[in-house]
Amino acid sequence: MLRWLMLTILILVASPVSATSIFTGIEERTKTIYSDLKGDNSYHAHLARKLAVYAGVEKGQSDISAARQLMDLAEEHARKAGGQ
Amino acid sequence: MRVLFLTLITALLSACVVAPLDIQRGELSEARVLVAKSKAAGAERCAPEQQATAVAMLYMAAHEYSEGDVHPEEQRELVEGSMKAAKEAYRVARKGCSKKVEIITLEGVYFETNSDKLTHESVATLDGAVATLKRRSSISVEVAAHTDSRGSAVYNLDLSNRRASSVMAYLTEHGVDAGRLSSKGYGESSPVTDNGSAEGRAKNRRVELRIQ
Repeated sequence: MLRWLMLTILILVASPVSATSIFTGIEERTKTIYSDLKGDNSYHAHLARKLAVYAGVEKGQSDISAARQLMDLAEEHARKAGGQ
Repeated sequence: MRVLFLTLITALLSACVVAPLDIQRGELSEARVLVAKSKAAGAERCAPEQQATAVAMLYMAAHEYSEGDVHPEEQRELVEGSMKAAKEAYRVARKGCSKKVEIITLEGVYFETNSDKLTHESVATLDGAVATLKRRSSISVEVAAHTDSRGSAVYNLDLSNRRASSVMAYLTEHGVDAGRLSSKGYGESSPVTDNGSAEGRAKNRRVELRIQ
């Protein structure tokens, strides 16, 4: 029973978390976005930076799920802008 | 034990469910319409910062609403902020969209003095530009080079032309399709700041990618 319990916990905790977010913090990901998009004033670059800032705000309020979602979205727009 | 197990699973499941950033929710309909309107007017290209502000605030508002009525003031501020930014983006887009050009300044591109030869310090920035152009494969760009105001205007124009060509050559040698690129030197004609100080002159000596 204990084995099943441990396994279930492991699966539930690990599955929604991407490899990027396990190993890289919100601050680090924000830095990467800012560095990759330096000098880029396109819509997607602005949006990526703003969403990354909001992700930092949410993390500051200990809402890690929202911070991750916002950061994922920020990185999606950073890719559209040509960064990352 | 079974009850404990089920309780734990339920608690874990509810902790793992992440409310999506659903900007389609009813409370955001007015802001959403304004954002769509400014987008349709070309705000992503003409007023990129204002449009990005509108969209980012819309996402944050969606997040706040997903938490229920925990922060009603924040919800209202975000929706109002999104609407205000969207209106501004719309106004700018309607005013003069066609004249606006997206410019990516390549900070960190250096040449030897009075030469079009790139220095080693430029490699990282140029490789970044190559990566950007490969990712944004649908865009064509003009490589634009600028000088400061020291020396004659004719000399500076020629130098900037050669420097723009040099950067374009680097980009094509590293895999960017030459058909997407053109180069142009602007000499000292388009300073971004005053040429009176060394700092100002350094800012004016620059290379940009002007998206066509």
